[in-house]
Amino acid sequence: MENSFFSNLKCRECGKLYPKQAIHVCDFDFGPLEAVYDYEAIRGKLTRQLIESRPQSMWRYRELLPIDGEPTVGRQVGFTPLVKADRLAKALGIRELYIKNDTVNYPTLSFKDRVVSVALSRARELGFEVVACASTGNLANSVAANAASAGLKSYVLIPADLEQGKVLGSLVYGTQVVAIHGAYDQVNRLCSEIAGKYGWGFVNVNLRPYYAEGSKTMGFEIAEQLGWRLPQHTVIPMASGSLLTKIHKAYKEFIDLGLVEKTPFSVHGAQATGCSPISTSLKRGSDLVKPVAKPQTIAKSLAIGTPADGYYAIHSMNQTGGSADDCSDEEIIEGIRLLAEHEGIFAETAGGVTVGCAKKLIASGKIPADSSAVLCITGNGLKTQEALLNQCGAPRVINPSLREFEDQIYQPDLAAAF
Amino acid sequence: MAEEKTRLWLMFPARLITRPIIWELAKKFEVVTNIRQASITDEVGLLSLSFQGERSEIKAAIAWLEEMGVKVEPVEINTIEG
Repeated sequence: MENSFFSNLKCRECGKLYPKQAIHVCDFDFGPLEAVYDYEAIRGKLTRQLIESRPQSMWRYRELLPIDGEPTVGRQVGFTPLVKADRLAKALGIRELYIKNDTVNYPTLSFKDRVVSVALSRARELGFEVVACASTGNLANSVAANAASAGLKSYVLIPADLEQGKVLGSLVYGTQVVAIHGAYDQVNRLCSEIAGKYGWGFVNVNLRPYYAEGSKTMGFEIAEQLGWRLPQHTVIPMASGSLLTKIHKAYKEFIDLGLVEKTPFSVHGAQATGCSPISTSLKRGSDLVKPVAKPQTIAKSLAIGTPADGYYAIHSMNQTGGSADDCSDEEIIEGIRLLAEHEGIFAETAGGVTVGCAKKLIASGKIPADSSAVLCITGNGLKTQEALLNQCGAPRVINPSLREFEDQIYQPDLAAAF
Repeated sequence: MAEEKTRLWLMFPARLITRPIIWELAKKFEVVTNIRQASITDEVGLLSLSFQGERSEIKAAIAWLEEMGVKVEPVEINTIEG
Protein backbone atom coordinates (compact mmCIF):
# COMPACT_ATOMS: atom_id res chain seq x y z
CA MET A 1 0.00 0.00 0.00
CA GLU A 2 1.35 3.43 -0.92
CA ASN A 3 1.53 5.74 2.11
CA SER A 4 0.48 9.10 0.76
CA PHE A 5 0.76 10.82 4.12
CA PHE A 6 4.54 11.34 4.25
CA SER A 7 4.90 14.38 2.05
CA ASN A 8 8.30 16.08 2.27
CA LEU A 9 11.47 16.83 4.11
CA LYS A 10 11.58 20.30 5.63
CA CYS A 11 14.39 22.45 7.05
CA ARG A 12 13.92 22.96 10.78
CA GLU A 13 15.57 26.37 10.52
CA CYS A 14 14.06 28.10 7.46
CA GLY A 15 11.14 25.79 6.62
CA LYS A 16 12.25 25.18 3.03
CA LEU A 17 10.74 21.99 1.60
CA TYR A 18 12.80 19.22 -0.02
CA PRO A 19 11.93 15.99 -1.86
CA LYS A 20 11.99 12.69 0.08
CA GLN A 21 15.54 11.69 -0.83
CA ALA A 22 18.69 10.68 1.06
CA ILE A 23 19.52 14.24 2.09
CA HIS A 24 19.76 15.60 5.60
CA VAL A 25 20.75 19.27 5.63
CA CYS A 26 19.29 22.35 3.99
CA ASP A 27 21.30 23.68 1.03
CA PHE A 28 20.59 27.21 2.15
CA ASP A 29 21.44 27.40 5.86
CA PHE A 30 22.76 23.88 6.61
CA GLY A 31 19.88 23.37 9.06
CA PRO A 32 18.73 19.76 9.72
CA LEU A 33 15.89 18.35 7.62
CA GLU A 34 12.86 16.71 9.19
CA ALA A 35 10.03 14.55 7.82
CA VAL A 36 6.64 16.24 7.46
CA TYR A 37 3.25 14.66 6.84
CA ASP A 38 -0.11 15.58 5.44
CA TYR A 39 -1.86 15.76 8.79
CA GLU A 40 -5.16 16.85 7.21
CA ALA A 41 -5.25 13.60 5.26
CA ILE A 42 -4.29 11.52 8.31
CA ARG A 43 -6.88 13.15 10.62
CA GLY A 44 -9.96 11.00 10.88
CA LYS A 45 -8.35 8.10 9.01
CA LEU A 46 -5.94 7.08 11.73
CA THR A 47 -8.15 6.16 14.67
CA ARG A 48 -7.56 4.43 18.00
CA GLN A 49 -9.57 1.45 16.74
CA LEU A 50 -7.48 1.13 13.57
CA ILE A 51 -4.24 1.26 15.53
CA GLU A 52 -5.48 -1.26 18.10
CA SER A 53 -6.48 -3.66 15.32
CA ARG A 54 -2.90 -3.89 14.05
CA PRO A 55 -0.03 -6.16 15.19
CA GLN A 56 1.77 -5.07 18.36
CA SER A 57 4.86 -3.42 16.90
CA MET A 58 6.03 0.15 16.34
CA TRP A 59 4.66 -0.06 12.79
CA ARG A 60 1.05 0.21 14.01
CA TYR A 61 1.63 3.99 13.71
CA ARG A 62 2.98 3.72 10.16
CA GLU A 63 1.01 6.70 8.81
CA LEU A 64 3.26 8.82 11.04
CA LEU A 65 6.50 7.21 9.89
CA PRO A 66 8.51 8.36 6.84
CA ILE A 67 8.32 5.48 4.41
CA ASP A 68 6.27 5.19 1.23
CA GLY A 69 5.23 1.54 1.23
CA GLU A 70 5.03 -1.28 3.75
CA PRO A 71 7.93 -1.66 6.22
CA THR A 72 10.45 -4.25 5.08
CA VAL A 73 13.01 -4.16 7.89
CA GLY A 74 12.32 -4.66 11.60
CA ARG A 75 8.64 -5.47 11.32
CA GLN A 76 8.62 -6.93 14.86
CA VAL A 77 10.36 -3.98 16.53
CA GLY A 78 8.75 -2.04 19.36
CA PHE A 79 5.62 -2.22 21.49
CA THR A 80 7.78 -2.91 24.51
CA PRO A 81 6.16 -3.14 27.96
CA LEU A 82 5.06 -0.08 29.89
CA VAL A 83 5.55 -1.33 33.42
CA LYS A 84 3.65 0.20 36.35
CA ALA A 85 6.50 0.62 38.81
CA ASP A 86 4.85 0.87 42.24
CA ARG A 87 7.87 -0.22 44.25
CA LEU A 88 10.22 2.20 42.52
CA ALA A 89 7.58 4.96 42.82
CA LYS A 90 7.63 4.50 46.58
CA ALA A 91 11.43 4.53 46.68
CA LEU A 92 11.60 7.75 44.62
CA GLY A 93 8.73 9.40 46.47
CA ILE A 94 6.22 9.87 43.65
CA ARG A 95 2.53 8.94 43.48
CA GLU A 96 2.59 7.05 40.17
CA LEU A 97 5.49 5.84 38.05
CA TYR A 98 5.86 3.82 34.84
CA ILE A 99 8.90 2.37 33.11
CA LYS A 100 8.92 2.32 29.29
CA ASN A 101 11.06 -0.76 29.04
CA ASP A 102 13.13 -0.76 25.84
CA THR A 103 15.69 -3.04 27.52
CA VAL A 104 13.66 -5.79 25.82
CA ASN A 105 13.26 -4.15 22.43
CA TYR A 106 13.68 -6.60 19.56
CA PRO A 107 16.17 -7.65 18.21
CA THR A 108 19.18 -5.96 19.89
CA LEU A 109 17.77 -4.88 23.26
CA SER A 110 17.84 -1.10 22.85
CA PHE A 111 15.60 1.66 21.51
CA LYS A 112 17.97 1.99 18.53
CA ASP A 113 16.09 -0.84 16.81
CA ARG A 114 13.22 1.63 16.39
CA VAL A 115 15.28 4.20 14.49
CA VAL A 116 17.24 1.64 12.51
CA SER A 117 14.16 -0.23 11.27
CA VAL A 118 12.78 3.02 9.83
CA ALA A 119 16.16 4.03 8.34
CA LEU A 120 16.72 0.64 6.70
CA SER A 121 13.14 0.31 5.43
CA ARG A 122 13.60 3.72 3.81
CA ALA A 123 17.10 2.78 2.58
CA ARG A 124 15.54 -0.11 0.65
CA GLU A 125 12.90 2.15 -0.85
CA LEU A 126 15.64 4.53 -1.98
CA GLY A 127 17.57 1.66 -3.57
CA PHE A 128 20.60 1.44 -1.27
CA GLU A 129 22.45 -1.86 -1.19
CA VAL A 130 25.00 -0.87 1.45
CA VAL A 131 24.10 0.68 4.80
CA ALA A 132 26.41 2.05 7.46
CA CYS A 133 26.71 3.89 10.74
CA ALA A 134 29.30 5.32 13.09
CA SER A 135 28.70 4.16 16.62
CA THR A 136 30.25 3.12 19.90
CA GLY A 137 27.61 0.59 20.87
CA ASN A 138 23.86 0.14 20.59
CA LEU A 139 23.44 1.72 17.15
CA ALA A 140 26.22 -0.44 15.70
CA ASN A 141 24.62 -3.63 17.07
CA SER A 142 21.24 -2.65 15.69
CA VAL A 143 22.44 -1.72 12.20
CA ALA A 144 24.45 -4.94 11.99
CA ALA A 145 21.56 -7.16 13.11
CA ASN A 146 18.78 -5.50 11.11
CA ALA A 147 20.92 -5.27 7.97
CA ALA A 148 21.75 -8.97 8.31
CA SER A 149 18.10 -9.92 8.55
CA ALA A 150 17.27 -7.74 5.54
CA GLY A 151 20.13 -9.06 3.41
CA LEU A 152 21.79 -5.66 3.18
CA LYS A 153 25.56 -5.28 3.26
CA SER A 154 26.64 -3.17 6.24
CA TYR A 155 29.64 -1.22 7.50
CA VAL A 156 30.05 -0.19 11.11
CA LEU A 157 32.66 2.47 11.87
CA ILE A 158 34.01 2.59 15.41
CA PRO A 159 36.81 4.36 17.31
CA ALA A 160 39.81 2.01 17.51
CA ASP A 161 39.92 2.07 21.33
CA LEU A 162 36.42 0.60 21.78
CA GLU A 163 36.13 -2.33 24.22
CA GLN A 164 36.20 -5.80 22.62
CA GLY A 165 32.86 -6.81 24.13
CA LYS A 166 31.07 -4.07 22.25
CA VAL A 167 32.81 -4.91 18.99
CA LEU A 168 31.74 -8.55 19.23
CA GLY A 169 28.08 -7.49 19.47
CA SER A 170 28.39 -6.20 15.90
CA LEU A 171 30.90 -8.67 14.41
CA VAL A 172 28.65 -11.63 15.15
CA TYR A 173 26.14 -10.45 12.54
CA GLY A 174 28.74 -10.56 9.76
CA THR A 175 28.99 -6.81 9.35
CA GLN A 176 32.19 -5.09 8.18
CA VAL A 177 33.57 -3.47 11.35
CA VAL A 178 36.10 -0.72 10.65
CA ALA A 179 38.05 0.60 13.65
CA ILE A 180 39.50 4.07 13.12
CA HIS A 181 42.52 5.41 15.00
CA GLY A 182 42.49 9.04 16.04
CA ALA A 183 40.91 11.69 18.20
CA TYR A 184 37.12 11.84 18.35
CA ASP A 185 36.94 15.00 16.20
CA GLN A 186 39.00 13.50 13.38
CA VAL A 187 37.03 10.25 13.42
CA ASN A 188 33.78 12.24 13.44
CA ARG A 189 34.77 14.27 10.37
CA LEU A 190 36.01 11.20 8.51
CA CYS A 191 32.65 9.49 9.07
CA SER A 192 30.92 12.51 7.57
CA GLU A 193 33.24 12.37 4.54
CA ILE A 194 32.73 8.64 4.04
CA ALA A 195 28.97 9.12 4.29
CA GLY A 196 29.07 11.77 1.59
CA LYS A 197 31.40 9.98 -0.78
CA TYR A 198 30.33 6.41 -1.50
CA GLY A 199 26.60 6.51 -1.99
CA TRP A 200 25.92 4.37 1.07
CA GLY A 201 22.83 4.69 3.20
CA PHE A 202 24.42 6.08 6.32
CA VAL A 203 21.65 5.71 8.90
CA ASN A 204 22.64 8.57 11.19
CA VAL A 205 23.93 10.89 8.45
CA ASN A 206 22.21 11.01 5.05
CA LEU A 207 19.26 8.90 6.28
CA ARG A 208 18.98 10.86 9.54
CA PRO A 209 15.59 12.52 8.79
CA TYR A 210 14.08 9.03 8.42
CA TYR A 211 16.08 7.42 11.22
CA ALA A 212 15.22 10.09 13.80
CA GLU A 213 11.47 9.73 13.24
CA GLY A 214 11.60 6.16 14.52
CA SER A 215 12.08 7.55 18.04
CA LYS A 216 8.55 8.96 17.97
CA THR A 217 7.15 5.45 18.33
CA MET A 218 8.37 5.33 21.93
CA GLY A 219 6.11 8.33 22.64
CA PHE A 220 3.17 6.90 20.67
CA GLU A 221 3.37 3.63 22.58
CA ILE A 222 3.55 5.38 25.98
CA ALA A 223 0.36 7.32 25.19
CA GLU A 224 -1.49 4.27 23.89
CA GLN A 225 -0.35 2.00 26.73
CA LEU A 226 -1.48 4.58 29.31
CA GLY A 227 -4.99 4.16 27.88
CA TRP A 228 -4.77 6.88 25.22
CA ARG A 229 -3.58 9.69 27.45
CA LEU A 230 -0.37 11.64 27.87
CA PRO A 231 1.80 11.26 30.96
CA GLN A 232 2.18 14.38 33.09
CA HIS A 233 5.95 13.94 33.13
CA THR A 234 8.35 11.99 30.93
CA VAL A 235 12.04 11.64 31.81
CA ILE A 236 14.25 10.96 28.80
CA PRO A 237 18.01 10.34 28.55
CA MET A 238 19.85 12.79 26.28
CA ALA A 239 22.86 12.06 24.08
CA SER A 240 22.32 14.11 20.91
CA GLY A 241 18.95 15.22 22.35
CA SER A 242 17.06 13.70 19.40
CA LEU A 243 14.98 11.19 21.40
CA LEU A 244 13.59 13.93 23.65
CA THR A 245 12.58 16.14 20.72
CA LYS A 246 10.91 13.20 18.98
CA ILE A 247 8.90 12.10 22.02
CA HIS A 248 7.74 15.71 22.29
CA LYS A 249 6.79 15.62 18.59
CA ALA A 250 4.94 12.31 19.07
CA TYR A 251 2.80 13.72 21.89
CA LYS A 252 2.01 16.83 19.81
CA GLU A 253 1.05 14.72 16.78
CA PHE A 254 -1.32 12.59 18.86
CA ILE A 255 -2.97 15.76 20.24
CA ASP A 256 -3.23 17.33 16.77
CA LEU A 257 -4.80 14.16 15.36
CA GLY A 258 -7.30 13.92 18.21
CA LEU A 259 -5.94 10.56 19.37
CA VAL A 260 -5.36 11.88 22.91
CA GLU A 261 -6.82 14.78 24.84
CA LYS A 262 -4.75 17.93 25.10
CA THR A 263 -3.62 17.66 28.71
CA PRO A 264 -0.53 19.36 30.18
CA PHE A 265 2.67 17.37 29.82
CA SER A 266 6.36 18.05 30.47
CA VAL A 267 9.41 16.40 28.95
CA HIS A 268 12.51 16.34 31.15
CA GLY A 269 16.08 15.54 30.08
CA ALA A 270 18.66 13.39 31.86
CA GLN A 271 22.42 13.50 31.32
CA ALA A 272 25.57 12.24 33.02
CA THR A 273 27.52 14.88 34.93
CA GLY A 274 30.68 13.98 32.99
CA CYS A 275 28.96 14.95 29.72
CA SER A 276 26.07 17.32 30.35
CA PRO A 277 26.19 20.08 27.72
CA ILE A 278 22.40 20.20 27.27
CA SER A 279 21.31 20.11 30.93
CA THR A 280 24.01 22.64 31.83
CA SER A 281 22.76 25.10 29.17
CA LEU A 282 19.14 24.63 30.21
CA LYS A 283 19.99 25.27 33.86
CA ARG A 284 21.85 28.45 32.84
CA GLY A 285 18.79 29.65 30.97
CA SER A 286 20.58 29.55 27.63
CA ASP A 287 19.82 27.70 24.40
CA LEU A 288 23.41 27.82 23.16
CA VAL A 289 25.02 24.48 23.88
CA LYS A 290 28.68 24.73 24.82
CA PRO A 291 30.60 21.64 23.69
CA VAL A 292 32.23 19.28 26.19
CA ALA A 293 35.72 18.56 24.87
CA LYS A 294 36.40 15.34 26.79
CA PRO A 295 33.32 13.51 28.06
CA GLN A 296 34.10 11.44 31.16
CA THR A 297 31.31 9.17 32.27
CA ILE A 298 30.50 5.49 32.54
CA ALA A 299 27.34 6.25 30.51
CA LYS A 300 29.21 5.96 27.23
CA SER A 301 26.05 5.71 25.12
CA LEU A 302 25.24 9.28 26.23
CA ALA A 303 28.78 10.67 25.90
CA ILE A 304 28.25 13.09 23.01
CA GLY A 305 30.12 16.32 23.72
CA THR A 306 28.61 18.25 20.81
CA PRO A 307 24.94 17.24 20.68
CA ALA A 308 23.38 17.96 17.29
CA ASP A 309 19.85 18.34 18.65
CA GLY A 310 20.78 20.05 21.91
CA TYR A 311 19.29 23.38 20.86
CA TYR A 312 15.99 21.76 19.86
CA ALA A 313 15.89 19.62 23.02
CA ILE A 314 16.23 22.76 25.16
CA HIS A 315 13.31 24.33 23.30
CA SER A 316 11.18 21.19 23.80
CA MET A 317 11.87 21.25 27.54
CA ASN A 318 11.18 24.99 27.81
CA GLN A 319 7.98 24.78 25.75
CA THR A 320 6.57 22.03 27.97
CA GLY A 321 7.70 23.36 31.35
CA GLY A 322 10.24 20.56 31.58
CA SER A 323 13.61 20.60 33.29
CA ALA A 324 16.92 18.76 33.12
CA ASP A 325 19.43 17.36 35.54
CA ASP A 326 22.60 15.33 35.53
CA CYS A 327 24.04 12.66 37.79
CA SER A 328 27.48 11.35 38.73
CA ASP A 329 28.89 7.88 38.02
CA GLU A 330 28.01 6.82 41.59
CA GLU A 331 24.45 8.06 41.14
CA ILE A 332 24.21 6.22 37.79
CA ILE A 333 25.15 2.94 39.47
CA GLU A 334 22.69 3.66 42.29
CA GLY A 335 20.03 4.32 39.61
CA ILE A 336 20.73 0.99 37.89
CA ARG A 337 20.48 -0.83 41.22
CA LEU A 338 17.30 1.00 42.27
CA LEU A 339 15.59 -0.07 39.06
CA ALA A 340 16.88 -3.63 39.27
CA GLU A 341 16.12 -4.15 42.96
CA HIS A 342 12.65 -2.59 42.87
CA GLU A 343 11.33 -3.59 39.45
CA GLY A 344 13.52 -6.47 38.26
CA ILE A 345 14.70 -4.53 35.22
CA PHE A 346 18.42 -4.47 34.41
CA ALA A 347 19.17 -1.31 32.44
CA GLU A 348 22.40 -0.16 30.85
CA THR A 349 24.18 2.91 32.23
CA ALA A 350 21.88 5.31 30.33
CA GLY A 351 18.98 3.82 32.30
CA GLY A 352 20.87 4.57 35.51
CA VAL A 353 21.17 8.17 34.34
CA THR A 354 17.40 8.38 33.76
CA VAL A 355 16.53 6.91 37.16
CA GLY A 356 19.21 8.98 38.94
CA CYS A 357 18.03 12.23 37.37
CA ALA A 358 14.35 11.38 37.95
CA LYS A 359 15.17 10.91 41.64
CA LYS A 360 16.71 14.39 41.76
CA LEU A 361 13.88 16.02 39.81
CA ILE A 362 11.31 14.48 42.16
CA ALA A 363 13.31 15.44 45.28
CA SER A 364 13.60 19.04 44.08
CA GLY A 365 9.88 19.26 43.30
CA LYS A 366 10.43 19.86 39.57
CA ILE A 367 8.43 16.67 39.16
CA PRO A 368 5.84 17.04 41.93
CA ALA A 369 5.47 14.12 44.38
CA ASP A 370 1.70 13.92 43.78
CA SER A 371 2.07 13.56 40.00
CA SER A 372 2.56 10.73 37.50
CA ALA A 373 5.73 10.11 35.48
CA VAL A 374 7.15 7.79 32.83
CA LEU A 375 10.88 6.97 32.74
CA CYS A 376 12.27 6.02 29.33
CA ILE A 377 14.72 3.16 29.80
CA THR A 378 16.51 2.75 26.49
CA GLY A 379 18.96 -0.15 26.69
CA ASN A 380 19.74 -3.46 28.39
CA GLY A 381 22.18 -3.78 31.28
CA LEU A 382 23.74 -6.95 29.86
CA LYS A 383 25.49 -4.65 27.37
CA THR A 384 27.34 -2.56 29.96
CA GLN A 385 28.08 -5.07 32.70
CA GLU A 386 31.63 -3.76 33.13
CA ALA A 387 30.19 -0.61 34.75
CA LEU A 388 28.92 -2.72 37.64
CA LEU A 389 32.03 -4.81 38.27
CA ASN A 390 32.59 -4.99 42.06
CA GLN A 391 29.54 -2.79 42.65
CA CYS A 392 26.96 -5.44 43.56
CA GLY A 393 28.83 -7.53 46.11
CA ALA A 394 29.96 -11.11 45.48
CA PRO A 395 28.44 -14.57 45.97
CA ARG A 396 29.08 -16.18 49.37
CA VAL A 397 31.04 -19.39 48.82
CA ILE A 398 30.50 -22.53 50.88
CA ASN A 399 31.35 -26.21 50.62
CA PRO A 400 28.59 -28.72 49.70
CA SER A 401 27.52 -29.10 53.36
CA LEU A 402 24.11 -28.39 54.90
CA ARG A 403 25.79 -27.50 58.18
CA GLU A 404 27.87 -24.82 56.45
CA PHE A 405 24.79 -23.52 54.74
CA GLU A 406 22.98 -23.21 58.05
CA ASP A 407 26.01 -21.84 59.89
CA GLN A 408 26.90 -19.21 57.32
CA ILE A 409 23.90 -18.45 55.15
CA TYR A 410 20.50 -19.24 56.59
CA GLN A 411 19.45 -20.05 60.14
CA PRO A 412 15.91 -21.51 60.04
CA ASP A 413 15.32 -20.93 63.80
CA LEU A 414 16.34 -17.28 63.55
CA ALA A 415 14.30 -16.83 60.38
CA ALA A 416 11.21 -18.28 62.09
CA ALA A 417 11.66 -15.81 64.99
CA PHE A 418 11.21 -12.96 62.56
CA MET B 1 44.16 17.94 -7.89
CA ALA B 2 40.39 18.34 -7.94
CA GLU B 3 38.70 20.86 -5.72
CA GLU B 4 36.60 19.67 -2.82
CA LYS B 5 33.84 21.23 -0.82
CA THR B 6 33.09 20.53 2.80
CA ARG B 7 30.38 21.84 5.15
CA LEU B 8 31.33 22.57 8.73
CA TRP B 9 30.26 24.04 12.04
CA LEU B 10 32.89 26.09 13.86
CA MET B 11 32.60 26.73 17.59
CA PHE B 12 34.66 29.60 18.95
CA PRO B 13 35.54 29.88 22.64
CA ALA B 14 34.91 33.26 24.33
CA ARG B 15 38.54 34.39 24.03
CA LEU B 16 38.44 34.13 20.20
CA ILE B 17 35.09 35.77 19.56
CA THR B 18 36.47 39.23 18.83
CA ARG B 19 39.34 37.98 16.66
CA PRO B 20 38.81 38.10 12.85
CA ILE B 21 39.61 34.42 12.41
CA ILE B 22 37.81 33.89 9.09
CA TRP B 23 39.67 36.88 7.56
CA GLU B 24 42.98 35.47 8.84
CA LEU B 25 42.09 32.07 7.41
CA ALA B 26 41.36 33.54 3.99
CA LYS B 27 44.76 35.28 4.00
CA LYS B 28 46.65 32.14 5.01
CA PHE B 29 44.95 29.43 2.94
CA GLU B 30 43.58 29.06 -0.58
CA VAL B 31 40.13 28.20 0.71
CA VAL B 32 36.85 29.83 -0.28
CA THR B 33 34.65 30.30 2.78
CA ASN B 34 30.89 30.73 2.46
CA ILE B 35 29.02 31.53 5.71
CA ARG B 36 25.42 30.28 6.06
CA GLN B 37 24.53 30.76 9.73
CA ALA B 38 26.09 32.49 12.71
CA SER B 39 25.18 32.92 16.35
CA ILE B 40 27.41 34.85 18.70
CA THR B 41 27.09 35.63 22.40
CA ASP B 42 29.71 36.81 24.85
CA GLU B 43 30.37 33.17 25.77
CA VAL B 44 30.47 31.22 22.53
CA GLY B 45 30.42 31.77 18.77
CA LEU B 46 28.81 29.30 16.36
CA LEU B 47 29.31 29.50 12.64
CA SER B 48 28.16 27.22 9.85
CA LEU B 49 30.02 27.55 6.58
CA SER B 50 31.44 25.71 3.62
CA PHE B 51 35.10 25.43 2.65
CA GLN B 52 36.01 24.99 -1.00
CA GLY B 53 39.52 24.31 -2.23
CA GLU B 54 42.23 21.66 -2.64
CA ARG B 55 41.87 18.86 -0.11
CA SER B 56 45.32 19.57 1.36
CA GLU B 57 44.47 23.28 1.79
CA ILE B 58 41.15 22.47 3.50
CA LYS B 59 42.89 20.02 5.84
CA ALA B 60 45.59 22.57 6.67
CA ALA B 61 42.98 25.26 7.35
CA ILE B 62 41.09 22.92 9.70
CA ALA B 63 44.31 21.99 11.51
CA TRP B 64 45.13 25.72 11.92
CA LEU B 65 41.67 26.43 13.34
CA GLU B 66 41.97 23.57 15.81
CA GLU B 67 45.42 24.71 16.87
CA MET B 68 43.88 28.09 17.57
CA GLY B 69 41.25 26.50 19.84
CA VAL B 70 38.29 26.50 17.45
CA LYS B 71 36.21 23.31 17.55
CA VAL B 72 35.56 22.05 14.01
CA GLU B 73 32.63 19.72 13.44
CA PRO B 74 31.09 18.33 10.26
CA VAL B 75 27.72 19.77 9.24
CA GLU B 76 25.99 16.87 11.02
CA ILE B 77 27.84 17.93 14.24
CA ASN B 78 27.96 14.44 15.70
CA THR B 79 28.07 11.44 13.41
CA ILE B 80 29.21 8.95 16.06
CA GLU B 81 26.40 7.71 18.28
CA GLY B 82 26.09 5.42 21.26
